[in-house]
Amino acid sequence: MAAVSMNGSARAPASDIALEVRGLSHVYEAGDRAVPALQDIDMSVRAGRFIVIVGPSGCGKTSLLMMMAGLRAHSAGTLLCQGRPIPTPDPTRVGVVFQEASLFPWLTTLDNIEFPLSLRGVPAEERRRRAEAMLSLVGLKGFGARYPHELSGGMKQRVSIARGLVQDPPVLLMDEPFAALDEQTRMTMGHELLRIWSTTSKTVVFITHSLTEAVYLADEVYVMSPRPGRIIDHIEITLPRPRTYEMMATDVFGRLRERIWQQIRHAQ
Amino acid sequence: MQRGLQTLIRLALLALVLGLWEVLPRIGAVNPMLLPPLSDVATTLWGLLGRANVREAIAVTTLEVITAFAIAVPLGAAAGILLAENEYLGAIFKPMLFYVFSIPKSIFLPLFILAFGIGFGQKVGYAAFTTTFVVMMSATAAVESVRGDYILVARSFGATPAQIIWRIYVPCMMPVLLETLRISMIFNFTGVMIAEMYASRTGIGHLISNWGENFQLPQLFAGIIILSAVAIAFNETVRRLEARVGAWRQ
Ligand SMILES: Nc1ncnc2c1ncn2[C@@H]1O[C@H](COP(=O)(O)OP(=O)(O)OP(=O)(O)O)[C@@H](O)[C@H]1O
Ligand SMILES: [Mg+2]
Repeated sequence: MAAVSMNGSARAPASDIALEVRGLSHVYEAGDRAVPALQDIDMSVRAGRFIVIVGPSGCGKTSLLMMMAGLRAHSAGTLLCQGRPIPTPDPTRVGVVFQEASLFPWLTTLDNIEFPLSLRGVPAEERRRRAEAMLSLVGLKGFGARYPHELSGGMKQRVSIARGLVQDPPVLLMDEPFAALDEQTRMTMGHELLRIWSTTSKTVVFITHSLTEAVYLADEVYVMSPRPGRIIDHIEITLPRPRTYEMMATDVFGRLRERIWQQIRHAQ
Repeated sequence: MQRGLQTLIRLALLALVLGLWEVLPRIGAVNPMLLPPLSDVATTLWGLLGRANVREAIAVTTLEVITAFAIAVPLGAAAGILLAENEYLGAIFKPMLFYVFSIPKSIFLPLFILAFGIGFGQKVGYAAFTTTFVVMMSATAAVESVRGDYILVARSFGATPAQIIWRIYVPCMMPVLLETLRISMIFNFTGVMIAEMYASRTGIGHLISNWGENFQLPQLFAGIIILSAVAIAFNETVRRLEARVGAWRQ
């Protein structure tokens, strides 16, 4: 567990803003057609917050996440991660978890988790140690030698989260990580994620289509309009932490969920 | 237990076929002119293996097979990967490749004879030509089997282009490529055989075709046995290689 927050103390708390998005717009050039995907996005994400982005399909959520990860360029505006632009992927600043776990089938669970470290030439011994620590963090101790096809969907996503966290990046981006899971597993995974988040003090940006998941997980929810995606609402989720399943039955939870739903519905 | 039984059944079947091969021609149930008894074929085979020209033929065929393979695999793999990776080249050449792939390659054999004359060059050239196509098609398929999200994941962890090739493309394509190696060896061997039987002065294919024409059936069957042994030896060698190269994936 020591490895988890290893860099945590070394990180300068000087800048409290983990992600800063100012007037960000993006237009895709698809052949001779221009597809405006994102328009004038403003976001200011404080370090350690759990941010959820919701919005209709095709509104540009994945695009925005890709830009935050340095995987895609944007047409206009500013995007700062830890106070600096992120023109190319920087795994020491940002970790990514994709929708399909996309683990490498030819590597074992441990080798999958070690993969980001091995790219940077971290010595084998240290790699193993950090990967083992991640594995127990996500509750999969003892599964290190398994291949992905031997794991359930939920377990694969745990491994994927471990892989995203192994370099100890201050920011973790997650694009509908639990969308492919059944309802029950999804709930458990959400709960697990909150546990991991609270022990690692990461800044999380999490995309989902599930409003229940959004309210359950988030400190703040950003609601996006249909394409071209704009931020049409920014909601503080005031529910206390730690979150419990019982909260889902409360009025506050229902009202928050309803407010998001109305925003999405009226924006259509 | 299960496997022991399977082996037993296999051996029993083999013994049955060999037994019938011996008995049926002897009792006259099958014309011994068309199917000489096994023991006659075995005697002939032993005699043939002692002859210098037969040994030479085996050596020549083996050398041709290895040379053609050594030319076709790197060539086909490089061309296939290039076509799959380079959108521009792919758009131009892929449709043409599919057309040419559908044409029986044996009709080009006379061209190879004209170009190289009858001999080593013609046989190796023709076999390499047919095999290159097979390798090329499989290599293209292998590249296309690399999923885009693996590359995206690797990039998100800051992988360099070289790292993406060695850490994603190579292991991802390895199962398909190894399979290709084995299948292309079968095509390669067939290519050499066709070339030898069509026009040649030596090689196992040449001998078999001669024996057939002269109605020397014990020799013909002995030749088939020699050929099968060489072919199986090649296939097993590649399969061993496959297991060795694939072992690091465990
Ligand atoms: N590489 C691209 N080239 C052209 N257009 C693109 C590209 N990627 C995305 N788009 C378009 O941009 C828009 C936003 O896509 P994006 O994938 O970001 O949406 P999303 O909000 O993640 O959708 P979903 O909820 O279905 O995952 C879509 O209309 C899509 O067609
Ligand atoms: Mg998306």
